Amino acid sequence: MSKVQVSFEWLSGCSGCEMSVVDLHERLLDVLDEIELVRIPILMDVKDYPKATLGIITGALKTEHDVHAAREMRKSCDKILAFGVCAVYGGPQGAAYAHKQTEIEEAIFQKNPTTRTNFIPNDVPEMLPDGVRPVDSEIDVDLYLPGCPPHAYYVAQALKAVLGGTAPEFGGHNVCFHCRRSMKKSEVVALRRSHDGPVVSDTCFMSQGILCMGSVTLDRCLAPCPQHGTACTGCAGPSENIILEPHIDIRTEIADRMSKITRIKREAIIQEMERRSKTFYAYAMASPVFRQKPTFLLRRWIEQGGT
Amino acid sequence: MGRTIVINPVTRIEGHAKIDIEIDDNDKVVAARLHVLEFRGFEKFVEGMQVELMPTLTTRICGTCPHAHHLVAAKCADAVFGAVPPRAALLQRQLLNAGSIIHSHAIHFFALAGPDLLLGIGAAPADRNIVSLLRAAPELAKKALRLRSLGQKIAEVVGGRGTHPVTAVAGGMATVIDQAKLSQLRALSNEALELSRFALEAGKKVLTDRAELIELLPLSTHDLGTVQNDVWDLYDGTLRMCDPEGKTACEIPATKYKDVMVEEAIAHSYSKRVLFKLGSQEVDYRVGPLSRLNICGKLPTPAAQAELEEYRSKFGHPTHQVVLNHYARLIELLACAELAVSLCNDAELTSPDVQSQPTHGPRSAIAHVEAPRGLLIHDYDVDDQGLIRKANFLVATQHNISSIDKSLQVAAERFWNKPEAEFVNGVEFAIRCYDPCLSCSTHQVGQMPMLINMIRRGQVIRQVRR
Repeated sequence: MSKVQVSFEWLSGCSGCEMSVVDLHERLLDVLDEIELVRIPILMDVKDYPKATLGIITGALKTEHDVHAAREMRKSCDKILAFGVCAVYGGPQGAAYAHKQTEIEEAIFQKNPTTRTNFIPNDVPEMLPDGVRPVDSEIDVDLYLPGCPPHAYYVAQALKAVLGGTAPEFGGHNVCFHCRRSMKKSEVVALRRSHDGPVVSDTCFMSQGILCMGSVTLDRCLAPCPQHGTACTGCAGPSENIILEPHIDIRTEIADRMSKITRIKREAIIQEMERRSKTFYAYAMASPVFRQKPTFLLRRWIEQGGT
Repeated sequence: MGRTIVINPVTRIEGHAKIDIEIDDNDKVVAARLHVLEFRGFEKFVEGMQVELMPTLTTRICGTCPHAHHLVAAKCADAVFGAVPPRAALLQRQLLNAGSIIHSHAIHFFALAGPDLLLGIGAAPADRNIVSLLRAAPELAKKALRLRSLGQKIAEVVGGRGTHPVTAVAGGMATVIDQAKLSQLRALSNEALELSRFALEAGKKVLTDRAELIELLPLSTHDLGTVQNDVWDLYDGTLRMCDPEGKTACEIPATKYKDVMVEEAIAHSYSKRVLFKLGSQEVDYRVGPLSRLNICGKLPTPAAQAELEEYRSKFGHPTHQVVLNHYARLIELLACAELAVSLCNDAELTSPDVQSQPTHGPRSAIAHVEAPRGLLIHDYDVDDQGLIRKANFLVATQHNISSIDKSLQVAAERFWNKPEAEFVNGVEFAIRCYDPCLSCSTHQVGQMPMLINMIRRGQVIRQVRR
């Protein structure tokens, strides 16, 4: 049987997704036995776009080059897998949606404390005018695997299914599914931050008044953050109910839950999340899926003085 | 006619780049430039975010060395709140860092630079990769991948995740190393020590008796790194700048970086370069494994120290052979494996006292670590709520930009008359000595397609594209 040909392309991202493939560790060699890698720029000196059964794209669209590369991948591959939160939703640099591209360039090249030159590089590829975009804003995507990066467990499942010619069967559960902290009713009256006093290690962050995104975030990570003492930051993007229900948004969902298990006012939670919208929406902010939700008024919140 | 060669993109380094090589009428290379073609703007969009989230958010600057960004941001968060980490937390962070360096150095030596060194710069492009290496030298390649895995697994046990760790927080660490984790860490570290000895021996075989390879890319320049009381240190200490003769020209705490470092934008690149002020002079300099071994008095562990002595007796001290970055990387790998073993033997590693509480309201802070590729600085200006007003990041590849350009020029001169494929890879080989992480240097990563432009009198006369 001939091997399945796999082609990789990386756009604007961090190479963490490539690492998550290498993080298959011992299983990597078995995977390499089953596939023929025809293109993977981080490891191989192949610079065109050979034909492949499966094209894996990591990273978001940020420049004209990225758009061109995505189109070339679509043309040369039978199926396209958008791999990682950048390819699926735009990723953390989606937080740049809160700013104009010129503001970002000015801040880095002209208004930076240690930079003495006063110009923006001009002999370089142009950034896309609308900032960062997910891959499916430009080409058709057949399969999505968010995660920042997705855990090797999901990477292995995805590859196994695709190589076997079936669709991967992932659960649509949220991060709480793998979190062993217990959700308890508490008398906490105000939101707190993680460094404001000790954090109890076996109790839900929300019970302790700390904003945790676990209940509104899709599990593609096996919950390493809450299992290791830090609240979820939503890096894999929103959970299925947020994606599918037009009236549900991460801030209303968290506020509903948290105001029931603590004595913190629902409105106070919503207000805090709107004020810090860039922090809480960062990873999926660039995706029109969330931008067009009726509850999603990010730019307005920021204009109203939030950050 | 003067002409320029453009190489675009460069593969097997992390990030997007393109190279210009300028030659004069006599076909002499007069300049070479690395262009970094993307940037993501982290410094701007973190504004307004809570400083305690920086250890997890800034890992996303780079998927190869997220641990370095994680730790430096946590060190900043400690200082923002005046929360000095307990000793157990420092031990954990050092162990996380050791794992990270083992992972990054191993993947670089074998997967990124290894094909050049082990299969040859002249090998066919389609064969010059880790997959071919697995075929040509399966035992070596498998052990190398295993060593990379061990480092990443150490980082995962301590950091909660391998890629994009999560446990370093303001005031220390968010989780305790229990006995189960300790026995895992011990086994991983012991095996890593054994394999890093093997890796070093394999590397030496390739590098030691090949003067033509070692002396391919000489570049005499200043070196910058971190020492703690004259001893090499990757987590903390003072910045030491040595002149090309190896004399200390400046030694300062990283918190004073603004007094000595100036960034300059480059018209053709999204990566800014950095100059270092020494009195009235401004000098180019280099960071990373070669520099760290040039500027330190000694290494903290016995086997690595013995290797350092052998290395210095072979190549002199300091050495300016850029290719020796690969050798230096393997000595550092051994040092980190030894450190990991000794950290696991420290009884306090399992102490439950891992986090201290804030002692004052938020204050702006600066911190540094030595990332695998060299000095990394984070600088956060915060308001009284601990929200970022302004952030500034100086990353290893930025410090190296000037040196990379100079080494590119040297390589272009050497390979310019070779067959096309060898020429292109020879030029890329020069870049890969620095193991540049262009994701970090522009706070972004992406694809590295490659285009070499040869330019004479401003006109592109030949293009090599892959």
